[in-house]
Amino acid sequence: MTVDTPTRAGRRATPLAGPVEVTAVDGPRGSVRFTVAPEETVLPGHYPGFPIFPGVCLVDLTHAGALATAPAEAGEVALAEVESTRFTSPVYPGDVLDVDLDWSQKKGSWICKATVRSARGDAAKLRLRYQGEVTA
Amino acid sequence: MTGQVEIRGRLPHRFPMLLVDRVLDVEPGQRITAIKAVTCNEPWYAELGPDTPPEGFGYPQSLLVESWCQSAGLLGTWDDPNPDVLSGKVMLFGSMSGVQFHGQVLPGDVLEHRVRVSRAVGDTVIFEGESLVDGQPVLTVASVVVAMRPAEVLRPGESASA
Repeated sequence: MTVDTPTRAGRRATPLAGPVEVTAVDGPRGSVRFTVAPEETVLPGHYPGFPIFPGVCLVDLTHAGALATAPAEAGEVALAEVESTRFTSPVYPGDVLDVDLDWSQKKGSWICKATVRSARGDAAKLRLRYQGEVTA
Repeated sequence: MTGQVEIRGRLPHRFPMLLVDRVLDVEPGQRITAIKAVTCNEPWYAELGPDTPPEGFGYPQSLLVESWCQSAGLLGTWDDPNPDVLSGKVMLFGSMSGVQFHGQVLPGDVLEHRVRVSRAVGDTVIFEGESLVDGQPVLTVASVVVAMRPAEVLRPGESASA
């Protein structure tokens, strides 16, 4: 399934200018894709003459993917905590990022574990905690 | 008080990603307090349409963390700042954990970031702290780990471990 998910033009403020595309949804798992266009809003300031896509934008991208793939039974989810992140390699303009997301429930919260990959391999691993309707 | 001239002499970030407005006080190697005013004129708000719900105007949580981390960056390099990402040593944010959000930040709010060094081992520094709006916590940070590395690790084709 491929669905264009509006980001900035849609329902929340975000540093991401380009679209986040849902490339797969299969039960609690999903994937999204994002291309770091050279025109991305953040790049002129991060850094002048040497653009690197900020690590926190990988967090925002994962959050966008989480909002787009959240299990229906969770209802409206809200990001409560970045439980952990690890940034493993830089991301540059032109990179195509694939984010694999895996949802589960734990102690009254929803957990979204994610890996962000570029053509050079893993760029980040994240574990985000959301508040939502809990069924287990 | 430390303003933009000094901040820009210490951080490589620039518009629209320079997310610290002013340093209120600092104890090098120990702690820093810095502020950032959130405004609806930041580019993240530019294309929000009339159907955007009130919560859609919340300051991006990712940028709240970035603003706090830039305050940590100021603290971590206070005695040896390097605003150039092309040479010398650069500060890389390798990992973070226990970053909790406690409330929405909206245009008009002034963020007060409080950052403390919890541990420093060699070229690695671990920070903790919180961000407040009107005295109320909106963000608490259990651990952010940064490492000073040669600038070369940021270049395409070079190996980067953090």
